[in-house]
Amino acid sequence: MLDWILKLISLIYPMAKRGLKKFNGGIFPKSHKDLSNHHPIVKTIMPKELALPLKQHIGIAVEPLVVVGEKVLKNQLIANTEDTSLHAPIHAPTSGTISAIEQRQLPHSSGLTGLCIIITTDGLELEIENALKIPNKVPTEPNTLKNIIYKAGIVGMGGAGFPTFAKIPNEKNKVKTIIINGAECEPFITCDDLIMQTYAKQIISGANIVANALGCNKIICGIEDNKQQAIKKMRQAVNNEKITIKSIPTIYPIGGEKQLIQEILGIEIPAGSHALNSGILVMNVSTVRAIYQAVIEGKPLTSRIVTISGTGLKKPYNTEAMLGTAFIDLIKFAKPKMKLNYRLIQGGPMMGFEVQTNQVPITKTTNCILANTPQKKTATMPCIRCGECMDACPINLLPQQLYWYSKSQEFEKTEKLNLFDCIECGCCSYVCPSNIPLVQYYRFAKAEVKKNKSEQKATSLAKLRYENKLARQEKLKVEKANRLKAKKEAIKQKSLADKDKNITATSSTPPMSAREKALAAAKKRTQQANQITPDKASPAKATPTKAATTAIAAAKKRAALKKIKQQTPNKDTIEDSKPDNRKKAIEAEKKRAALIKTKKSQE
Amino acid sequence: MLVAILIFTGLALIYGLLLGYAAIKFKVEGNPLAEQINKELPQTQCGQCNYPGCKPYAEAVANDEAEVNQCIPGGTEVMIKISEITHREPKEMSAVAEDKPAVKIVALIDEDACIGCLHCIKACPVDAIVGSIKLMHTVITDECTGCDLCAPACPVDCIEMIPVEENLQTWAWQKPKTSPVVTPVDQFLQQEKTC
Repeated sequence: MLDWILKLISLIYPMAKRGLKKFNGGIFPKSHKDLSNHHPIVKTIMPKELALPLKQHIGIAVEPLVVVGEKVLKNQLIANTEDTSLHAPIHAPTSGTISAIEQRQLPHSSGLTGLCIIITTDGLELEIENALKIPNKVPTEPNTLKNIIYKAGIVGMGGAGFPTFAKIPNEKNKVKTIIINGAECEPFITCDDLIMQTYAKQIISGANIVANALGCNKIICGIEDNKQQAIKKMRQAVNNEKITIKSIPTIYPIGGEKQLIQEILGIEIPAGSHALNSGILVMNVSTVRAIYQAVIEGKPLTSRIVTISGTGLKKPYNTEAMLGTAFIDLIKFAKPKMKLNYRLIQGGPMMGFEVQTNQVPITKTTNCILANTPQKKTATMPCIRCGECMDACPINLLPQQLYWYSKSQEFEKTEKLNLFDCIECGCCSYVCPSNIPLVQYYRFAKAEVKKNKSEQKATSLAKLRYENKLARQEKLKVEKANRLKAKKEAIKQKSLADKDKNITATSSTPPMSAREKALAAAKKRTQQANQITPDKASPAKATPTKAATTAIAAAKKRAALKKIKQQTPNKDTIEDSKPDNRKKAIEAEKKRAALIKTKKSQE
Repeated sequence: MLVAILIFTGLALIYGLLLGYAAIKFKVEGNPLAEQINKELPQTQCGQCNYPGCKPYAEAVANDEAEVNQCIPGGTEVMIKISEITHREPKEMSAVAEDKPAVKIVALIDEDACIGCLHCIKACPVDAIVGSIKLMHTVITDECTGCDLCAPACPVDCIEMIPVEENLQTWAWQKPKTSPVVTPVDQFLQQEKTC
């Protein structure tokens, strides 16, 4: 009844539909999903070359296990690391030859380069069967499942790229509910929709595998109600009572982890906490399918379903793309309406980003490539304090306040307003009547806060190390003084003993002669020293003034800079001259040391 | 009259004792001002302020022995902060770091040329160089403050200061550029003019 009334009101006031779901805010952008969701998944395209970035996940980059020129087979492990930090291994998506391991531009908004393994494909698809060496047994313990998922290199394929094995708890029965995320709320993207339509059985059995291993009895799959086909197929595939397929209202961003949990279970995950602490494990449908493939077929994650869509394409489609395929290779098949002289977008129009060149490769987290013909940019206007952004924010933040403080760089205040709970969904920017790029401001503020924190950490570390050094020097000084004292004492004792001996042995020689001699010698030494010191001391004292040292430092710096500028006239000559330089330097240093020694001995 | 005097003498005694006790019990170790200043300093321990480190300089400033404008790596920003803390007049920087790079720099030892003399290790204020006598030395990049004290100490001039390269971890979003605001009224007026 309520739904019906809300729908009626929404004819006049569209935002009334917000009442249909349980979390705050949300928006209703035009979905554009019909561009690509009718056509079945297109067969994998075989590109000439694959570029596999060594970091396609959250965590540290892995290291290549292959060398240039090596032949690899499909599903062969080509990069991993022994480091215990968070990472996910990478496998070869097809057979071919490693043609290079080099810096390539990454699909990242920065446009930075990163190390990539380049495979020249041979088109033969020579495969390693059961590459993960999975025993013919479904895992019953969380650790066995985790191990398989780790080996398969599976990461969260909804877009975050968090290694999935790290998400799974070690203990059985800790997870009470598994939520399969089939919401896919971003406009244009249909890859999850197509996976559910095509591989519903795999997803269901994948979910069962995870539930069995974790001892969980409740699986809920949330699918937006604009994907009726997928809901139907998934319902048909359900084979036991554990699983429920739930149709949820179509509203952006219902596919966000916390929003989906709130919608399905009515639980709000507290700020700073993780869903797992509440006994909930959320997984994307693509991730679940990848788990199925790893556990049942022994296949590592080497390909994924990607949507190629956008208003600039004649034939948008979905395909199972090999990781490492260049964007441009996939876009060509979709028949662009005009020449691709604009930048493509990875991800959806809400949370995606423009890539710097269209040559960048597909990674484990690329769910969509968007080719939207460039639009005229609307001018940013001043904030009129209408509060639309506050009504749209799905996590009840105060976007307007955050905007002011981010703009004026008062980052402490943004932190107090829970800036870090912002999921950067873009609802606020979408509804802003003044076209203010609000999310950009939050990203900037987040980056600044992080930078300040790391700088603070660095300075406190430097301080600590400096203080430790001073303390150590002080300690060494004291120790040295003590040693000297002990030595002197020992000599004194010895000389005293000697004297006693002398007295008892030879009484004829005049007493105290040894001491007198020593005293005389000492006097002579001090006189000599006094004569020398005035001449020597003056230059010695003049040198260490700090102004001079700073000058030297500056000069050296300049010289170093010059050196950088003049660098690499010819590498060979430099390398030839290096050993000579080194020898000369060693000689000079030896001479200097000898000089210092002789001077000391003279003194 | 006498009662009043007695009461007040008693009160004075009690408060006096209280204050005296508090002075001993809650005594502040060191100079709190120096601590505060030290927090603002960049902690590169570079010695360009004529003091052997950031803390000594902070103490000197707190004791009115040094000017507020001697921290060269900190620049004007730190100078203003110090003058705010000490309530002294801000002064123009006495010396500006020459060709001060905008990005963070760290030392890099050319390992082929290094003769293993230990000089740079002694010069490093934060122990960020490892090595042993007659063996190659190297810089712990994460702990190097870029103070540039090791470069002049090197007898073979094999230490270079290089800027830290930006990577995916250090890359950060920039502040959005505020484009010149064009209001609909402006557009309308412009149209009127062209007509």
